[in-house]
Amino acid sequence: MSTPNTSRRYLTTAVHAGLLTLVVWSVTPFLWTLQTSIKFTRDVAAVDPVFIGYETTANAYNRFWFDSEEINMWAVLAYLAATAAVAVGLGLLGRRMKLSWPWNLGVIAALTFSLWLLPNVFETSNEFDFFKNSLIVTALTVLISISIGLLAGYGLARYTGVSGAVILLVALGFRALPRSAFVLPYFFAAKELNILDSRLVIVLAMVAVNQPFTIWMLRSFFMDVPKEMEEAAMMDGATRFEAFRKVIIPIMWPGIIATSLFTMLLAYNEFLFVRVLAPTNWTLPVSIVSLTAGESSRTITEAAAASVSITLPIVIVIILFQKHLVKGLGAGAVKG
Amino acid sequence: MNRKTFWGFTIPSVFIMLALMVFPLVTTIWLGFHQLLLRDLDNPKWVGLSNYTEVLKDPQFWAAMRFTLLFVAVAVPVQLVLGLGVALLLDRVKRGRGIYMAALLMPFIVTPVVGSAIFKELFERGGLLSWLYGVFFGDPFQITGGNVRWLIFIHAIWYITPFAMITFFAGLQTLPEHRLEAAAMDGARFWRTMWHVTMPHLRTLILFVALISVMDSYRVFDSVFVFAGTRFPDTQSLQVYNFDVALDASIGRLGKGHAIAVLNILGIFVVLIPFLIRSYKDQIAERT
Repeated sequence: MSTPNTSRRYLTTAVHAGLLTLVVWSVTPFLWTLQTSIKFTRDVAAVDPVFIGYETTANAYNRFWFDSEEINMWAVLAYLAATAAVAVGLGLLGRRMKLSWPWNLGVIAALTFSLWLLPNVFETSNEFDFFKNSLIVTALTVLISISIGLLAGYGLARYTGVSGAVILLVALGFRALPRSAFVLPYFFAAKELNILDSRLVIVLAMVAVNQPFTIWMLRSFFMDVPKEMEEAAMMDGATRFEAFRKVIIPIMWPGIIATSLFTMLLAYNEFLFVRVLAPTNWTLPVSIVSLTAGESSRTITEAAAASVSITLPIVIVIILFQKHLVKGLGAGAVKG
Repeated sequence: MNRKTFWGFTIPSVFIMLALMVFPLVTTIWLGFHQLLLRDLDNPKWVGLSNYTEVLKDPQFWAAMRFTLLFVAVAVPVQLVLGLGVALLLDRVKRGRGIYMAALLMPFIVTPVVGSAIFKELFERGGLLSWLYGVFFGDPFQITGGNVRWLIFIHAIWYITPFAMITFFAGLQTLPEHRLEAAAMDGARFWRTMWHVTMPHLRTLILFVALISVMDSYRVFDSVFVFAGTRFPDTQSLQVYNFDVALDASIGRLGKGHAIAVLNILGIFVVLIPFLIRSYKDQIAERT
C-alpha cells in the first residue's frame, strides 16, 4: 500500500545523504585549517594527528597579526567583539527605524574607525598593513568598476545600434585573455612611470580586467527593467541622465549588490597582479603565499591562522548576501 | 536611445578598456619582438622573431602546453557532469537548501591561493588525508613530482564545480513545472525526462559554463603556483611558465615573456574555436 510513499522517503534520505557527503568534501579543508590554527606546534608536528583533547592557543594568530608575545589575545578578541557589537547594533537600529543608506555609510565609517584605531591600541605587524591594503584596493575597485560599469551597462542595454554589439563582443574576447597578456605590459609601464608598488596601479589593473564582466552582468540586469520606466520620467521633462539616476538606479539595487559582490571577491582574492605589480606593498593573498612556501611547522600554524583570518570576511559576506550571489550567477548566466 | 547619448554613457568604460586593455595588447606584441631584460629595462633591442623560435624550441614550453591542455580536458567535463549532478540534488531538497548551498559555495569563493594552500596541507606530512592514506596503505602520503599534477586536478574539481552547480541550479529553477508533470504523466522515467526535458532547457547554460570554464582553466595560475611552485618545477601551466621566464629574479627575460603571452593569446582562441562556431550557429538559428 505505502510503497510509493516509502520509496519517496528513501529517495529524500538518499538525496540528503549525497548532499551531506558533498558538504563534507567541500568544507573539510576549512575545518582542518581551523583546528591547525589553534594548535601548538608540537601537536601539529605529531606523526599521528591529535584530533581531540589538544591544548588550544592563539599564538599563531598573535604571530601573524602582531609579531609580539606580549599582546593579550583576549583583549584583542574583546576589542573585535565590541566593534562587531557596535556595527551590528547600529545596523539593526537603522533597519528598525527604517533609516536609509546614509545610516549604513555610518556603520561602515564606525568599522573603518575601529580598524584605523587598532594599530594604536595594539602594536600590529606588517600583515595588518597588507590587510588594510586589501580593503582599500577592494573598496576602490568596486567603487570605480561599478560606477563606470553602470553607465556602460545601461547604454548597452538600451542602444540597438551595431557599435553596442561590437563593444560587447570585444569585451567577451578580453574576458578570454590570459592575465599575462596584461600583467607584463602593466609591469613594464608602471616601472617606466615609477608607480610600481602603489595601490593605484593595482586598482587600475583590477578595474580594467573586470570591466568586461561588469558591463555584461549589469547589462543583463538593466535588460530586466522595462523601458517604460524611464520613458515616463522623460515625458515629465527629466533628461535621460536624470531618469537614469532617479528612476532606474533605485530599482537596480539587487543587480548592483550582486555585481559588486563578484567584483569585490575578484579584487580581494587577486594574487598574480599584486605579486607582480607590488613587490613590497602586498595585499593579504601574497603575504599568505609567502608563508605557505615555508616548510617548518611554525609556519604551518601561522599560515593556517592567516588562512582563517582572510577567509572569515568572505564567510561573513556569504552568510549576509548568499541570496544575491546566487541570483547574480543566475542572472548573468540565464541571459548572458 | 540615440547614438550620441549611447556614447555619452559608454565612453568612460570604453576608454578604460581601450587604455588598459588594447594598449597593453599592442605593447605585448611589440615587445615580443625585442630582447628586454628585467635588470635593463631601458634598452629593448629588436630581435625579430628569435624570441618565438626560442620559445617553440623550448621543451618546457611544450610540457607546460601539454599540462594545460590536459588540465582543460579533465577539469571542464568533470565539473560539468558533477555540477549538473549536484544541482539536481539541490533542486530536490527544500529543507536546509540554504545551508547546503553556503557550504558548497565555500571552495569557489575562498581566495584561490588560500584554497589551494589549505587543500595541499591535507596531503602534506601530518595532514588529514596523508595520515588516512597511511592508515590504509602503511606509509603516509607524500607529495612528489609524479603525483602533484593529480592533486592539482583533484583540487580543480573541488574548486570549480560549485560554479557549474550554482549556475545549473539557477537554470533548473526556471524550468516550468508543467513540462516535468507532462513528462511524468507520459510515464517517462528519470533518464528520459533528463534527456528530453531537462537537458534541452539547460543547453545554453551548459554551453555558457563550458565557455567560461575553458577560459578560466586555460589560464590556470594560482593553484599550480601554490602546489608545484619552485618545489616541483617540472609541473607548470602555460601561465606559470610565462611568469617564470618573464620575471625570474636573476634572469627575467621580459621580451621572451611577451612572446609567450602572444602565443598564449593565440592558443586560447584556437581552443575556443569550437565554442565560437557553436554559439555563432545558435545565433543564426535564433534569427531564422
